[in-house]
Amino acid sequence: MLLPKFDYHAPTTIDEACSMLGHYGAKAKILAGGTDLLVHMKKRLLSPEQIISLNKIEGLKEAFSQNGTGLVLGPLSTAAYLADSRLIQERISVLAQGASRLGSPLIRNRATVGGNLITARPASDLAPPLLVLSAKVTLKGPRGERTLPLEDFFLGPGQTAVQADEILTKILIPNIQGISAGAYIKLGTRKALEISLVNTACFLELAQDGSIKLARVALGAVAPIPLLTPSVSKILAGVKPKNMDDPVFREAARAAAQESKPITDHRGSADYRRYMVEILTWRTLKNAYSQLMEKV
Amino acid sequence: MNSYSVINSRAPRLDAPDKATGRAFYTDDLYFPNMLYGALLQSPLAHARILNIDISRAKRLPGVKSVVTAKDVQIIRYGVSPARYDETILAVDKVRYVGDEVAAVAAVDWETAQEALGLIQVDYEELPAVFDPFEAMTEGAPQIHDAYTRNICAEVHQEFGNVEAAFEQCDLIHEHRFVNKRQDAAFLEPNNAVAVYDQLGYLTLYTSTQVPHYVQRTVSMVLKIPIGRVRVVKPYVGGGFGPKASASTLELAACLLSIKTHRPVKLHFNREQVFLHSRARHQFFHTFKTGVKKDGTLLALHNTCILEGGAYSSFGIATVYYAGSLLGGPYKLPHMKYDGFRVYTNRPACGAQRGHGGVAARAGFEQQLDIIAEKLGIDPVELRLKNIMEAGDTTCNELNMSSLGMKECIEAIRDHSDWKQKKGRLPKGKGIGLACGFFVSGAGYPIYRSDTYHATVVVKISEDGGTVQLQTGSAEIGQGSDTAFAMIAAEALGVRYEDVRVVSGDTDLSVDLGAYSSRQTLMTGYAAKDAAEDAKCQILEVLSEALNVPVEKISVRNGLVFFEGATPDYMPIRLAYIKEHRGWPYDDRPHDDHLTFKEAARLAYLKRGTIVGTGKYKPPKLGGSFRGAAVGTSPAYGCSAMIAEVSVDLETGEVTVEKVTDAHDCGLAINRTSVEGQMEGSVAMGLGEALFEEVKFNDQGQIINASLGEYKIPTALDVPPVQSIIIESNEPNGPYGAKEVGEGAIMPTIPAILNAVYDATGVRITELPITSERIWRALKEKK
Amino acid sequence: MKKMITLNVNDREYDLVIPVNRTLTQVLRENLKLTGTKQGCGVGDCGSCTILMDGRPVNSCLVLAAEAEGHKIETIEGLSEEGQLHPLQQAFVEHGSIQCGFCSPGMILSAKALLDKNPSPGETEIREAISGNLCRCTGYQKIVDAIQSVAKKV
Repeated sequence: MLLPKFDYHAPTTIDEACSMLGHYGAKAKILAGGTDLLVHMKKRLLSPEQIISLNKIEGLKEAFSQNGTGLVLGPLSTAAYLADSRLIQERISVLAQGASRLGSPLIRNRATVGGNLITARPASDLAPPLLVLSAKVTLKGPRGERTLPLEDFFLGPGQTAVQADEILTKILIPNIQGISAGAYIKLGTRKALEISLVNTACFLELAQDGSIKLARVALGAVAPIPLLTPSVSKILAGVKPKNMDDPVFREAARAAAQESKPITDHRGSADYRRYMVEILTWRTLKNAYSQLMEKV
Repeated sequence: MNSYSVINSRAPRLDAPDKATGRAFYTDDLYFPNMLYGALLQSPLAHARILNIDISRAKRLPGVKSVVTAKDVQIIRYGVSPARYDETILAVDKVRYVGDEVAAVAAVDWETAQEALGLIQVDYEELPAVFDPFEAMTEGAPQIHDAYTRNICAEVHQEFGNVEAAFEQCDLIHEHRFVNKRQDAAFLEPNNAVAVYDQLGYLTLYTSTQVPHYVQRTVSMVLKIPIGRVRVVKPYVGGGFGPKASASTLELAACLLSIKTHRPVKLHFNREQVFLHSRARHQFFHTFKTGVKKDGTLLALHNTCILEGGAYSSFGIATVYYAGSLLGGPYKLPHMKYDGFRVYTNRPACGAQRGHGGVAARAGFEQQLDIIAEKLGIDPVELRLKNIMEAGDTTCNELNMSSLGMKECIEAIRDHSDWKQKKGRLPKGKGIGLACGFFVSGAGYPIYRSDTYHATVVVKISEDGGTVQLQTGSAEIGQGSDTAFAMIAAEALGVRYEDVRVVSGDTDLSVDLGAYSSRQTLMTGYAAKDAAEDAKCQILEVLSEALNVPVEKISVRNGLVFFEGATPDYMPIRLAYIKEHRGWPYDDRPHDDHLTFKEAARLAYLKRGTIVGTGKYKPPKLGGSFRGAAVGTSPAYGCSAMIAEVSVDLETGEVTVEKVTDAHDCGLAINRTSVEGQMEGSVAMGLGEALFEEVKFNDQGQIINASLGEYKIPTALDVPPVQSIIIESNEPNGPYGAKEVGEGAIMPTIPAILNAVYDATGVRITELPITSERIWRALKEKK
Repeated sequence: MKKMITLNVNDREYDLVIPVNRTLTQVLRENLKLTGTKQGCGVGDCGSCTILMDGRPVNSCLVLAAEAEGHKIETIEGLSEEGQLHPLQQAFVEHGSIQCGFCSPGMILSAKALLDKNPSPGETEIREAISGNLCRCTGYQKIVDAIQSVAKKV
């Protein structure tokens, strides 16, 4: 399979990249890991005239702590990096879990978190973990920088709030105050090289008194966008579950299923997916809560 | 155990070092000076009349050297079986599926060839299309080929014994329907071809094929070039599994373009085109009705099957016969009736894939045996053992089991898997299941009616006597056939395995029908042994004369010559040999204590010229005289049994195959490592078919999952550890008692998993693949 | 658009002028004639084109050749020296891990990357590490065995 013809640019600073993008606008595409973009180009779903690669820009590939306010992920952090990074594993393991299930080891060595978000696949492995972590994204364009919550970022399959002349430059994950835990489960057909049939991520934070201070559940592949489920947060907020088998988790899981909007396609039917949302959400909640109990 | 020096061991494969280092050449790795690159224009519609093709703009594109359509050739139809030659190089007046080839281009590079395709203007008149075989068979359905009303490509009605009368004798009759899905072979190397037409009018085609011989014949017939002027060479092939077992448009178009341009032309399929070309496993709609006595004795089977065939016949006639004939064994079944229909649809043509025609039949039937066992309260192992055939038995459809270690296979897996402790005692969500199967060890008849030898082999000894070259037209496609032939020849000659060099996959070398129907070990192996013995005989005759020792008193082993009784004085031979190698290094000195084969072979060369042994194989007349009796015949049958242990997530429906215990009777194992490799590969492919694989279409007849991302074959994480147990019977018709393993080994995999899933869940899945959703739905319905 | 690039492949520098839409697979196979890197799908689904980029296994079909500049590229041809097989290659030969051989170069490179990082992986880690490299012939058993045998030697 051949790539269509294009011009290639490899700026060395974000500003340079931004001005190039400002110049070419919709004719250009940003190249990060290329695991989605180049596939789409080979299949002639996209034929940009200009490719602007970010890979020669220093400092976009890592995560670091930002003066006590949280974590910053460089947009070119690869899935392999996120899965293997001690920092990510310790601070936000749900993201490491999601990253470790993305594609295959070969894909994970190239696929980037920025690219994964921009591609905006409903079945993304990274978006649900980032949604439950209340991530924000920073976009830079000719009119300057803006930061928005990830939940406002996705507009539809392949559609995001990013303007044609903007570049995703940072992903911010706010600090977590109390004891917290997260979990990610992916249901696919085979055990690797898989697109989610359904995936769920959850994040729980405990208050001092042992009640749930914050609960967030996000779902993949069951709506046009990776979906955060406010009803789950509402049900669990302030609750003090007896143990991981507390029926409140099932109740929350049912609410998640209610909120999902799955479709029937060749990978699976809507009713199966909806029920799987319930099962997987329930399992992630129980898993996260049992981690919390171990930490307390 | 036995007295063999070479075979029945674990020799490292001849091709492995080159393949491990990236040096092995596959067709796409070949580059020729001045080579052109081709591309094929394929139909975007499932069924349409071609009104006009305008190639003028494409021809004008700089860099384009040739554009061809059906108008550029005399139309000679071809296919697999002469009774159903229904294909043409390029579509003549109609296209019959999305992907049907319409035009071909050769240009100076890939990009130009691709660009030229976009400049070809085809005017189509879209015709109504039909995708469902049941619909295709109804009156008034769109007719795909003029000659075949109701789109019935082939129809089979056979009865052995008297099924209706037998059903009356039965205590239990069970009927159920079983459906598999259309498969893709998903070999990793996409099809490639390079054709080189030279100035003398000789055509050489390098191609990733399983069958150089059949490709040679087809090219010769379709392009009207004498067979002797067509040479087909098969470099290393990255897997075939069936769909590469016949000539394709890709190969014919490369030849045509090379002839037109007088330049080498390379063509390939990309992955999507591999799916479009298809020729893999059909979808089979089986209904089985089986009658038994209450003690479990099998009496009768009525099997009906509809095959969704796609737009062309390919192997289809054989497939529809196999879907019936391969249930004749391995159980004693006195009465069997079969009604089969292969139906054309506007989809890519289906053909042969590992376990040709028999895999879905076996899956459904072995499932039915488990249903019957449960109803009768008989352990599934016992039910099978009760009905099992033995060596020497003949099936009701006249297939002779000249060797059959079926019982030994069942007992081996039962004992190695701890069946008795597990069956019926596992917790909910865990299950164990078993199944059996058998397969031909080489089709009894060639694809075209002929008295041809199925294999000829040439063994040539180098002039110094030290290296044996084995020449064969057979096809090493990854199964390890070259290595097996080297081992057989080394054994037969009495030389070391390392001293045999195999040259294969080239129609210039010998006639060989190729790698399909699991035939090469038995058939080519037989010819290899025959050729080696011929060469050895010539050498020993010379030696016998020189030493005045009868031939019968001379033997060769590990490259050394042994004499029965007193060792004659061979010093004159040795001195002559040493003299001829004056100045050669020390290492070349012959053995201290024995005359060597090398010295004897050198002597033979000096007396007789180049020593060339020839061997051949043709099966005896096999099978009955009824219509279609040829399909299913074979000089031997391999058989196997497998136990699968699974766990099923009862909430999500996900199935994990935890462990597999597999036994296969391959006669005598030539290379034990290769036999295990075939068994393990079969398990993985069967597992994929059981759990994941399905080629899916939209309502326009387009494949919606034509990629290895969406068509899911197992990864390393999906396949469990496999315990492979080799059962060795002695096959009288095979070389050293050897027979097949490549396809028989897949037979029990799917039903063993199906039966294990039932054991784990209590629900019978009768439609493949066993997706998590299908199980979830079945469990929900059961509640 | 063409670009002049310098590729470091198997410790050798190659100066090339290539159209920028060429993938690393294409350049390795067509320009450098390093045909041990195979093309099975072109879209990252099969792993036949696996190469090591700074020691990490990647699908070379999804890397622009221009983007490989400045990185250390290792192909299957770089593993054996003067005919001496790398221990993994030797193990694949001895264990019968190679059938059609089309996945073997990529499989061996994925295994090498694993062992370079984790000299004594367990079976699951091995299966995980090669899960992006499809094999249709072997059922993976003998591949896993071969990798395990080298792991033990370390």
